[in-house]
Amino acid sequence: MDLPTGIRSFSYGEDMAVFRTKTHWFWLLLLLAVLFSMPLFLANYWLSVANLIFITIIAATGLNILTGYCGQLSIGHAGFMAVGAYTSVILTTRFGLPFPLVLLSSGIMAGLIGMLFGISSLRIKGFYLAISTLAAQFIILWVISHWDSVTGGTNGLPVPPAKVLGLVLKSQSDKFYLILIVTIIIIFVAKNLSRTKTGRAFVAIRDNDLAAEVMGVNPFRYKLLAFFTGCFFAGIAGSLFAHWTGYINPESFPFTNSILYIGMIIIGGLGTTVGPIFGVIFIQLLDVLVTHVSPTLQAAFPGLSSGFVVGIAPMLFGVTIILFIIFEPRGLAHRWQIFKTSYRLWPFSY
Amino acid sequence: MSMFLQFTVTGIAVGLVYSLIALGFVMVWKSSGVANLSMGQMLLLFAWFAYSMLAQKGIPIWLALILVLVFSLAVGWLMERVILRPLIAQPILSLITVTLGVSFVITGLVSFLWPKGIAALPRLFPQNPVHIGSAIVSQEYLWAAVISLMLFALLSLYFKYNRTGIVMRATADDQKAVQACGIAVTKIFSRSWMLAGALAAISGVLMASIGGITFGLVDTGMRAFSVVILGGLDSFLGAIVAGPIIGLAQMVGGGYLTPLTWPGVNDVIPFIIIIIVMFIKPFGLFGEERIERI
Repeated sequence: MDLPTGIRSFSYGEDMAVFRTKTHWFWLLLLLAVLFSMPLFLANYWLSVANLIFITIIAATGLNILTGYCGQLSIGHAGFMAVGAYTSVILTTRFGLPFPLVLLSSGIMAGLIGMLFGISSLRIKGFYLAISTLAAQFIILWVISHWDSVTGGTNGLPVPPAKVLGLVLKSQSDKFYLILIVTIIIIFVAKNLSRTKTGRAFVAIRDNDLAAEVMGVNPFRYKLLAFFTGCFFAGIAGSLFAHWTGYINPESFPFTNSILYIGMIIIGGLGTTVGPIFGVIFIQLLDVLVTHVSPTLQAAFPGLSSGFVVGIAPMLFGVTIILFIIFEPRGLAHRWQIFKTSYRLWPFSY
Repeated sequence: MSMFLQFTVTGIAVGLVYSLIALGFVMVWKSSGVANLSMGQMLLLFAWFAYSMLAQKGIPIWLALILVLVFSLAVGWLMERVILRPLIAQPILSLITVTLGVSFVITGLVSFLWPKGIAALPRLFPQNPVHIGSAIVSQEYLWAAVISLMLFALLSLYFKYNRTGIVMRATADDQKAVQACGIAVTKIFSRSWMLAGALAAISGVLMASIGGITFGLVDTGMRAFSVVILGGLDSFLGAIVAGPIIGLAQMVGGGYLTPLTWPGVNDVIPFIIIIIVMFIKPFGLFGEERIERI
């Protein structure tokens, strides 16, 4: 459906490939070239924005696997990210483990904690699950802000820069390459996971978990697997976030972030690979825009209350989420699909 | 012993206010199947509105409280009409997320309109504390308990004898049957949202008069979800019974556990209860266990 006419496949593997035509490959390579050369032409500030966007894309991709593909709503994703971040910092500073190992184990730790809270998903779903993940967020953050001897309590912990293959990643552009590469791997894994037996089992459970069980999908196993995978990605994102900011405390992972992640994947489009990417870029750029424009507005209209700068961002985010749910519940990914199709068919309507 | 008595009285009082919040939630859930996760933010908004009426505008108390009530009904109506009406029969995921969006909007609105972020309501109740046995309890707690109990009585009369109340119960039971009787279900949705708004306003003012107006009111709303879960999502009785249980667990348990564990344990107890209930009895004490068919 997404292909121009006249493209044929001569093997099953060819038919299943994500990138089929030379044009696909051209755009992919161009995108990669632009991404990898970004530190050459972006200022430090925009590089840090890009870093945060990529980290958030990893977290949102995890949430998308859990919520978008498997249908298990989680309002505690920032909590699981916090688990990953703190695991990573503690493993680095206390035990001095090499960074790749730290990254992996913080993902695994977050995944295990996520699975623990996900056990109840066998019997409950929808709102019940949302509330139990909300409880998870509050419990995790409470433990983190009070277990002073390990997590540093509300004072937080300083994070040493990551060391990969003997290189100490200190500058924004060094961190950019690390984060970019991890993001690409994560998106690759997520895209292919959705096409495997596991991914299809997730979708079956989302559409109707009873029917899925009747068809022979083990719901408990796959729900737990979805929780593990989703929170594993959150843990990785948390670990990268810690090493990116250089300092973490419980307030780095507020409950509002958890809500924002859901907003991002809904704005982007649930259950698609590009959805989280679009959603994250949209919301983060909106955030950047607001931080730049609102002080100017404040200066231009002195009559505005002093809370304008603080209050405008959440209001805008909330309105965006509401408008998207009401008018375009399939998100930007759907718009992108429409755009691609009409681009290919232009100037004919079909 | 006086400690225990004190924890018990405050726990029950706070728990009854939790019950009010939970009732607002259950009402919307039963009639329209929408999970309103912005309950805490609504509490905050109405508390601030009451503050600006009472402290900033200096309107007499009775008029100010009526204005708060009218405002809360208007907000409830507006939310249903503008945001939830277009989403009828959408998946639960959208319905939950849209209320989360609303919670963002309200948070932004509150920090926009009342930038100082923290305030104390003018005293609504007499100041001198009351001695119950050996415990000393400030009057706000007792008034909160009394007002909540009165509201429960009023609401149960409303649901029993008032025509709209009866229709609301019928809608909760079977929407199609209600529609077949020629009653506009959307009007009922609207009513239940307005009632939920009013309950949020009353509980917001009560909570604010106990603990002041802070963003902590949002967390209070979140903790009230544990009441909903423990009592059962679709049970009014459950909400009323579970409120004091949660309040007691929070105050008594928190009071005695704080020296043993970390400070602030009373704030997290409701969430731990949620997790425990989910494992043991996910549909709550009085909730109806749904049997699904394909």
